Amino acid sequence: MLASFKGLGVTLRAFFKPVVTAQYPKQHLPIAPRFMGFPVLTWDDGVKEPYCTGCMVCIRACPTQCMSAQMKDNPLFKEGKSKRRKIVDDFEINLGRCILCGICVEVCNFDAIEMSHQHELSVVVRNGNRADLQQLLAMGRDYQKEMGWKPKGGEEAAKPEAVTRGETPAKEEAAV
Amino acid sequence: MTARDIALIILQLTVLVTGLITVVLSLTWLERKALGRLQRRMGPMVVGPHGLLQPAADALKLLVKEDLVPALADKLLFWLAPMVVFVPSFVVWVTIPLAGEVVVRNMDLGLFFIVAFSVLAIVGMVMAGWGSANKYAILGGLRAAAQLISYEIPIIMAVIAVIMLPQSMNLVTIVDDQRTIPYAVLQPLGLAIFLLAGVAEVGRTPFDIYFAESEVMGGPFIEYSGAHWAVFFLSEYINTFTIAVLVVLLFLGGWSFPLMPESAWLGFLWVVVKAYLVVFVIFWFRGTFPRLRIDQLMSVGWKILIPLSFVNFGLTAFYKFYELPWWALTVSSLAITVAAGYGLYRRWTWPARATAEERLARARAYRRAEVTDAG
Amino acid sequence: MAINRQLDTLDMMLNMGPQHPATHGVFRMVLWIDGERIVDVEPHIGYLHLGTEKLCEGEQYSQIITLFDRLDYVANFNNELVICAAAEKLMGLEVPERALYIRTILCELNRIASHMLFYGTFALDAGAMTPVLYAFKERERIQSLFEAVSGARMMHNYFRIGGVKQDLPEDFYDRMGRLLDPVKRTIEEADDLVTFNEIFLARTRDVGAIDGKTALGLGLTGPNLRATGVDYDLRKAEPYLLYDRLDFSVPLGDRGDCWDRFWVRIREMEESVRLVEQCLQQMQPGPVMAPIRRISRPPKGEVFAHAENPRGDLGVYLVSSGADRPYRVKIRPPSFCNLMSLKHMMRNAYVADAVLILGSIDIVLGEVDR
Repeated sequence: MLASFKGLGVTLRAFFKPVVTAQYPKQHLPIAPRFMGFPVLTWDDGVKEPYCTGCMVCIRACPTQCMSAQMKDNPLFKEGKSKRRKIVDDFEINLGRCILCGICVEVCNFDAIEMSHQHELSVVVRNGNRADLQQLLAMGRDYQKEMGWKPKGGEEAAKPEAVTRGETPAKEEAAV
Repeated sequence: MTARDIALIILQLTVLVTGLITVVLSLTWLERKALGRLQRRMGPMVVGPHGLLQPAADALKLLVKEDLVPALADKLLFWLAPMVVFVPSFVVWVTIPLAGEVVVRNMDLGLFFIVAFSVLAIVGMVMAGWGSANKYAILGGLRAAAQLISYEIPIIMAVIAVIMLPQSMNLVTIVDDQRTIPYAVLQPLGLAIFLLAGVAEVGRTPFDIYFAESEVMGGPFIEYSGAHWAVFFLSEYINTFTIAVLVVLLFLGGWSFPLMPESAWLGFLWVVVKAYLVVFVIFWFRGTFPRLRIDQLMSVGWKILIPLSFVNFGLTAFYKFYELPWWALTVSSLAITVAAGYGLYRRWTWPARATAEERLARARAYRRAEVTDAG
Repeated sequence: MAINRQLDTLDMMLNMGPQHPATHGVFRMVLWIDGERIVDVEPHIGYLHLGTEKLCEGEQYSQIITLFDRLDYVANFNNELVICAAAEKLMGLEVPERALYIRTILCELNRIASHMLFYGTFALDAGAMTPVLYAFKERERIQSLFEAVSGARMMHNYFRIGGVKQDLPEDFYDRMGRLLDPVKRTIEEADDLVTFNEIFLARTRDVGAIDGKTALGLGLTGPNLRATGVDYDLRKAEPYLLYDRLDFSVPLGDRGDCWDRFWVRIREMEESVRLVEQCLQQMQPGPVMAPIRRISRPPKGEVFAHAENPRGDLGVYLVSSGADRPYRVKIRPPSFCNLMSLKHMMRNAYVADAVLILGSIDIVLGEVDR
């Protein structure tokens, strides 16, 4: 029975060690800077409009087809305040369907979508996981504030087929 | 019997029931807390300070839950089984003293009464298993019958060996006889047998075969819900506490060791503290050991515990008959315990350790040879 | 009365799963039992069928990686590696060395995490409820590291065709320094608490034994095969990634019983820790991604790539028509092939052993059902 006593020793030692769990709703463990929560849309504070132009690249790249978007002519462009010819009119992400893969962020040419640190999904209404443009932008503003987010250089990255993805890490580090 | 006597009995029984339910509630909380700490987590924390009100919340939940009866169940057996399991576990408490006078009815044949009644629960298990009309329940019920009957024998033999020392079945006499030396010192073998068989009797790890969650998913209790399940639960925890208290009374000197002043309340407290410590050991087992298989359980019972309990019995008889000094019994009993434990260790662990070491050596040699080849 | 006349008993059919707690997901076994003995067993699969292979035909290569994450959902990096390796083989890509080191580290860490899960759940099947929490403690640590590296605890989508998504975070070395010692300690604890415990040994020795020849015939791979004493580990047999540069040994069993399968996995964790330590010492800074176009279009052709996953040999047969989506992807899931041995192992076992045997094969239903 010697080995059994050894086992009893292991558990008894653990009895006097500190606990490793956290009391979740009250206590949150730190989230890694790279953590991929729900995708959110970013807000351009300079021009007071979203970065997103509704170009549909992320929507086509999404493996689960959880997003949809519509674009419109940008009124601020006509006034000369913005360089964006088109702007997003409506954007919806079904967060219950999103698999948090981060592909939309990678393919976006305008730094318009980011994986936020939001990860709590529970809602009290059926189908309440569909986030519309306003919600996504609100979540995005929180994320931008939290991370001190800066655009990674939208214009330069706007050459879809030529960019090598080896360059992304350096930019990511700068953003963090 | 006057009306006053009847009223007194009713009062005593009410106090007993309330006390036992309080004990059960405290045990569930303690078990979850103790297991939590053994597993580096906190256990219940939300309801009340440190989850203290969790047992009450659980009890409330169980009582308001729907009591489901399977369509094909034998209704009578299904409804009766929890009672049949609960009543014996409660009745034995009539004669268990928690201090010199803190007892409902002290009997001269108290131990006999306890042993006789505790066996009855088996019937309830089989009834639950059969009445549920569920294959897992049948497996569990039959396992329970086999297990509980097998482990009744070592318990009885260990109890007989204890009875021989003070020549009495009266628990108060047995405890009073341990004023100087508790029987745990005289019969370490008896203590080991009684504790192991007792743990098996209440079906706790490593002997939780008949309701093993990963195999038969609750065994006889699989179809029970709500208040009926709560009754099973209650009796399981009362049984655990009974075994702990019996260990305290029979082997750890009850309220009389080490020398206590003649105060019933202090003695009572002392017994309860000791009993909770024994219960903690049982929880500790649960937090450590895997479960045996049914055939291994049987062979442990019949091939190890029962022979050992007869050896214990014979040893005690020898000591009594030749009036040897008390340390002779201690030494011989301890020697047999250690030898049996070591034998089991050799038998079960040794071959595996040897092969493991040999394989590791082979793997290391293989690696070295390869590395030298490459380099 | 003729007392020697045999009683006419029927075998009882016992349906185990898909809701049974010990079937590791949604797996269903129909057991025919005679008392406590198993006479026959019939596995039923398909409750978690996703249609991964068909889905792959409609997705771009970058999207397929997310599907592979969900095959064997406790060893995600290892799965991602295989599809990336297949496409790279077809494209003839040279993956930068740092990316190879990162892949090796993450795959080996994931092997530890996966085997930790096995250690915990197997002990839980055997009835010990504490090891699973100790194991998850370490698994959580490893997953937190994964979160810092890839952004997700389980479905990482971190490996790319031609490298990895981004370089390791700056605090990676600090975190690794804090990670490995507790893991080693937990492995030692596992030996004291479970591996050499008398009850555990009694439960698992000579239970569900299978010999090497049958195992090979049934297509068993991974720890299940090595427990029978067959020395076959892809990391040694066909070194991929950087395994030819690293010093490690392959623990082998000899009886092929449940205990051997358990022991082999525990020892593999130790070897994985050593592999990670070596990689950390050797790793040099450099690029982590081969210079390729954003959308991969492997040339027309067919390729087979496989790797040693925690559960065995995961193979991918990829047919490309030159488009940005594969023409056909065939997955050879190790869990599915290992499951074939179930009938052989369970013959004449006890009902209680059924759970242990299934646990010792260590299946992941995401991979079995695909």
